[in-house]
Amino acid sequence: MLSYFIRRVVGTVPVIFMISLFVFLLLHAAPGDPADLLIPDQASAEDIADARRRWGLDQPVLVQYWRFLVSAVSLDFGRSFKYDEPVLALIMQRFPATLELALIATVLAIMIGIPLGIFASSRPNSWFDNASSLGGFFGVSMPNFWMAIMLILIVSGYFNLLPSGGRATFGVAEDPITGFLILDSIIQQDWVGLADGAKFLVLPAIVLSVNMTGLLMRMTRSSMLEVLSEDYIMTARAKGLSERVVVWRHALKNARIMVITVVGLEFGALISGSIIVESVFSWPGIGQLLLQGITARDYPLITGLVLVYTTLFIVVNLIVDFLYAAADPRIRLGG
Amino acid sequence: MQQLIPESGLAAKAASTLVSPPVVRRPSRIMRALRPWLTFKAVLGISLLSLLLVCALLAQWLAPVDPNKQNLMAAMIAPQYFSGPHFLGTDHVGRDLLARLIYGARISLSIAAAVVVISGAVGIALGIVSGYFGGRVDFMIQKVVEVVWAFPPLLIAIAILAFLGQGLGNLILALTLQRWIPYCRVVRAEAMTLKEREFVVAARSIGASHLRILGRHLLPNLIQSALVIGTFAMAAAIIAEAALSFLGLGVPAQIPTWGSMLADGRAYVSTSWWMSLFPGLAIFATVLAINMLGDALRDNLDPKMKRRR
Amino acid sequence: MSARTLTPLATAVIGALAAGGLTLATSASAQAQQRTRVTAAVTETIASVNPYADSVSLMYAIYSQTYGSLVDWSFEKGGYISRFADSWSNPDKTTWVFKLKPGLKRNNGEPVVAADFVHSINRAMNDPQTKQKHNVRWIVAMETPDERTLIIKTSEPVAPMLENLSRVIVTSKAQFDKLGAAADKDAPVGAGPYAIKQIAVDNFLAMTKVPDHPDVKPENPDEIIFRIMKEPESRVTALLNGEIQIAQFIPPQLVPRVQGSSVASIVWEDAVELMFLAMSPEHKPWDKKEVRQAVAYAIDRDALIKVLLAGQGTRLDGPIGPGQFAYDKDLQPRYTYNPAKARELLKQAGYPNGVEIDFYATVGRYIADKQICEAIVPMLEAVGFKVNLKTPEWGTMWANVQKGGTPFYYMGRGSVIDPSAALSQYFETGQSPRIKFSNKEVDAALRAEREEFDEGKRIALMRRAMSVITEEAPAHFMWRHKMATGVANNVVFKPQPTMDINGIDIMMKPRARATK
Repeated sequence: MLSYFIRRVVGTVPVIFMISLFVFLLLHAAPGDPADLLIPDQASAEDIADARRRWGLDQPVLVQYWRFLVSAVSLDFGRSFKYDEPVLALIMQRFPATLELALIATVLAIMIGIPLGIFASSRPNSWFDNASSLGGFFGVSMPNFWMAIMLILIVSGYFNLLPSGGRATFGVAEDPITGFLILDSIIQQDWVGLADGAKFLVLPAIVLSVNMTGLLMRMTRSSMLEVLSEDYIMTARAKGLSERVVVWRHALKNARIMVITVVGLEFGALISGSIIVESVFSWPGIGQLLLQGITARDYPLITGLVLVYTTLFIVVNLIVDFLYAAADPRIRLGG
Repeated sequence: MQQLIPESGLAAKAASTLVSPPVVRRPSRIMRALRPWLTFKAVLGISLLSLLLVCALLAQWLAPVDPNKQNLMAAMIAPQYFSGPHFLGTDHVGRDLLARLIYGARISLSIAAAVVVISGAVGIALGIVSGYFGGRVDFMIQKVVEVVWAFPPLLIAIAILAFLGQGLGNLILALTLQRWIPYCRVVRAEAMTLKEREFVVAARSIGASHLRILGRHLLPNLIQSALVIGTFAMAAAIIAEAALSFLGLGVPAQIPTWGSMLADGRAYVSTSWWMSLFPGLAIFATVLAINMLGDALRDNLDPKMKRRR
Repeated sequence: MSARTLTPLATAVIGALAAGGLTLATSASAQAQQRTRVTAAVTETIASVNPYADSVSLMYAIYSQTYGSLVDWSFEKGGYISRFADSWSNPDKTTWVFKLKPGLKRNNGEPVVAADFVHSINRAMNDPQTKQKHNVRWIVAMETPDERTLIIKTSEPVAPMLENLSRVIVTSKAQFDKLGAAADKDAPVGAGPYAIKQIAVDNFLAMTKVPDHPDVKPENPDEIIFRIMKEPESRVTALLNGEIQIAQFIPPQLVPRVQGSSVASIVWEDAVELMFLAMSPEHKPWDKKEVRQAVAYAIDRDALIKVLLAGQGTRLDGPIGPGQFAYDKDLQPRYTYNPAKARELLKQAGYPNGVEIDFYATVGRYIADKQICEAIVPMLEAVGFKVNLKTPEWGTMWANVQKGGTPFYYMGRGSVIDPSAALSQYFETGQSPRIKFSNKEVDAALRAEREEFDEGKRIALMRRAMSVITEEAPAHFMWRHKMATGVANNVVFKPQPTMDINGIDIMMKPRARATK
C-alpha cells in the first residue's frame, strides 16, 4: 500500500512536467500575447514591441519555458502580467473561495442526490422515481447561467432573501486566516461573519451542485437497481432481513464504488467548471481568474492555474483510488 | 415487508398496468417480442426521439419560415402560439424561434451524438482496459486522464478553433478531447469491481480469453453506468456549445443551434424569457427521450433480469 | 421506511440553508450609521496595486482621484483644468514648463514636489510592469530647477501633450525611495479627495474620504466600495435590493426594470467611446472608396439604435460627437440610410453582381455587439454583399486586427477626448496596421495639427482631417453609446462621459441613510 502510494506520488512529477510543457506550447501557439492584449488601445506598435521585449516575450518559446522551469523549481511561477502580482500568491488568495464553494456544492449534491437515488431505486417507476428523474433531467438541461440568473431574480430580486452576488458584506467578517470564510468565522467564533458568509454561499452552491446532484441521483439509482436484483440481496430478503437493512446496509455498500467515482469526477469538474457560476455571482474564485487570464493571454497566471488544477485532480484521483480499496476489499490497488 | 422488485420483472409489471388488459389468447411471437417495449416510458422515449430526429432530418420542410430571416421591426416578440405567425416568438433580431429550434435540432443533435459516441467509445475502451488489467496499464492510462482533465476546456477550445478554424468538425473535436474521461473513470471503477466477481473469476478459470471476458462479461454489466454518463454528457455537450458561443467560439453565427440560441438568450433571460427557455426545453426533451429509452433498454436487456426471466 | 430516513435529512438541508439566509436579515451593520458608504458595481477588472501596471480605465480614474495628476480634462469647461499644475507655458514647441501650485500636500502631510513628477514619468516609462509608456513616449528630458517647477522636453512638437500628461498618475518619490515597489501596496499616499483603503485585485476596492481635503463636501460619502459585478442581471437586482447604490452599464433591455422601480433611477451619459466599422483598403474590395461608402449607406443605423440599443445611441456624422475636442456643431447628417444609393455605388465600383466579404464581430465586448453585427448582415446582403459573419474570440481577433489581418470589423475606441491620437493611430499613414489607410491630405493635416499650439488653428486642421476621413470612409462611424447608470434614490450621482466614477461626484441625499 505504501509503495503504491509512493509510486503514485512519484508518478505525478512527469505529469506535472508534461502539463506545464503542453500549456506553455498551447498558449504560445494561440493567437495574441500579453503585450497585444494588455497594452492599451492607445499605444503604438513600438510601445507593444517594447513591452514584449521587457517581458521577455520576444525570446524563443523554449527559452521562455526553460526560464519558467528554472524558477518553478523554487515554487516561483512568475508574475502575472495582468495583475502584477506573484502568480502563486494570487492563486492562493483566490483558491479557497473556489474550493469552499465546490466543497459546499459537493456536500449538497451528496446529501440530496444519494438519498433521492436510493429512494428512487427502491421504488422504480413509481411517481417519486419519475418526478425526481424529471427534476434531475431538467436541472442538467438548463444551463448554469440560466439557473443562476433565475435564482437571482427570484430569491434575491423577488423575495429579497439572499444577496445577488459577492462573497461577503464588506467589513463584516474579521480578517481571514485560512481564506475559507466559513472555517475562519468558526475559528474566530465570529457568528455574524459566519451567517454573512453562509448567506452569500447558498445560491452559487445550489447552482453549482445541480449537475452533480442529478448525476449522483441517476448513478446511485442505476447501481442500486443492479445490486437489488443480485442473488445475495434475494438471499438477504429471504432470510427475513428488514427492507431497511437490505437497502441501506447491503445494497448501498455495493453502490459505494460508483458514488465515490462520480463524486471524485464531478468534484474536479466543479473546480474547473465554476467559471460561469463565479462570474454570474461575482464570486472571487479562480474560475474568474482563469477567464481573465485566458482573455489576456496571461501566460504565467494560466500556467499556474493549470498546475493547481492538475495537482488537485491528482490528489482527488489518489483519494478516490484509496477509497475504492477501503470500500471494497476485493479491489487491490496497484493490482 | 414490502416487495421492492416483483419477481416477474418490473418491465412486465409496468407494462401490465399500461398496456391493455391481458389477452386470453396466446400472443403471437412478434407481439411477445414487442410487448416489453410497449411500456409508457419506452413509447414516450421512442416517440420523443423520433420527433427530434424528424425535426433534424426534415427541417427545411417542417420549419415555418427561414430560420435566418431577420425582421428588426418584429424583434423579441413573445410566443404567440396559435394567435400569430411566430408560434414561439422571435429573438433579438426578429428571427422565428420555432424555425430556429427545428433547424437547431440538426446541428445540436449531431454535435451531441458525435461527442457522446466518440468520447463514449474511447472512454469505455480505455476505462475497461484500465480497470480490468490494472497495474502498469492502469497507471499509464490514469496519468493520461490526469493530464487531459487538468486543461481548462476553454483553453483547448480557443487553441483548436483558432488554429483549425471555426467549424462543426473542430468544435466536435474540441468538445470530445476531454469528454471521454467521465466514461473512462466510471467504467474503470465498474471493471475493477466486476473483475473480482464470481462469474468473471469463473470464466477466467475455465480459460476464457481476456477479450471474451471483456466483451461478454464486463461490457454488458457496465453499459448501464456508461449510459447514465452518456445521457448527461449529451446535455453537457449541447450546453458547452452555448458557453463557447458566448465567447464567439461556437459554430459560425449564421447556423442556428440550440447552444447559440441559449447564448443569445442569456442577455435577455429576464426580459425575453422565451429566447433561453425553449432551447433549454429542447435539450430537456432530448435528455428525457434518451433516458427513457435507456431505462427501457435496462428493463429488457439487463443480463441479470434476463437471467431470471 | 425510506421516507422516514429521508425526511430528517431533507429538513436538515433546508434548515441549514434557511439559517444561512435568514439570520442575517437582522444583522445590518450598526457602525455604518454614522459613516456613510456607497457601493458601486463596476464591470471592468480591478487589476493592480501598481498604478503604472494598469491598463483598465476604471482603475485609471481611481488612481487619478486618489493620487492625483498634473492636469485634468473638464467636460464642463471643455478644456484642461489644473490639478497640481498652477500654470503651464511653451517657450518653444518641444518644451513644456509647469509651475506647481504652492503648498501642495499629500494626505499624510508630505509635500508634493517637482521631483515626484519626474519620478512618476520615469515609472510610467521604465517600471518593469508599466503598461503606460505610450503616454510619455515623446519625453526626452526633464528638469526641476526648483521644487515648484517642472520642465519637460519632447522629441518633437506634441500639441496634445496635456492629454498624455493628464494620464500620468503622480506618486510619491519619497515613499518609493523608502519602500521601493512595496510603496504601491503599503503606502498608497495620494493627494486626492479620496484615499485607497484596501484593494483585492479582481474583486473589490475600498476608498475613504479625506475629510479635510479642499475638494470634498460633507455630502460626499465617507467610504466608497467598488465591487466587480459582471452579470447585468445581478447588478440590477443588487441595485433594487439596496446592496449597491451605483450600477454601471445597465444594458438597454434592463433599463425599464430600473426605471420602473421606486428605489433607483437611470442617469444617462453619452460615452466618449466611438463605435465604428473599419474597412481596410489593403484588402479587396475595400480598396474602392465606393464600396466603403456603400457599406455606410446600406446600414440603417436608426433601426439598429431603436431596436438593439433601445434608443440608447447617438448617431455620429463624423469621427466624433459633442463634448469631444474639435467637434463641429454644424456637422450635417452623413450616410443616412439609402440602400438604393449603396447598390449604385457598388455597381460603380465594378461589383454589379455583388461581392463576398468576411465581417468580423466581437462578442460581448461592446454593448450588443454580436447582435448589432448579426443585424447588419442582412442589411449588407440587401445591397449586394455576400457576408460571412465571423466571431473570433477577443484575444484572437484583437491580435489579428493589430497585425492588419482583419479587413472589415466592428469595434470601439474608448476614452476619446482629444481625438488626435486616435485619428493618427487609425488613419495616418504608417502609424498602425489596423486599417492601413493612406491619404496625403489627412497625413498633412494630422501632422500639422500635432505641431500647432494655437487651439483655434489646431481645431481647424483637425476638422479638415476628419472631414476627409468621413468622405473617404476607411471607417464608418456608427454611434456613441448612451450609457445608462443605475443610481439609488438616496444618492445623487452623474458619471463622467468617460464613465469614470469620481467620489466627489457622489452626494448622499440629506438625512438619507447610507446603506440599507
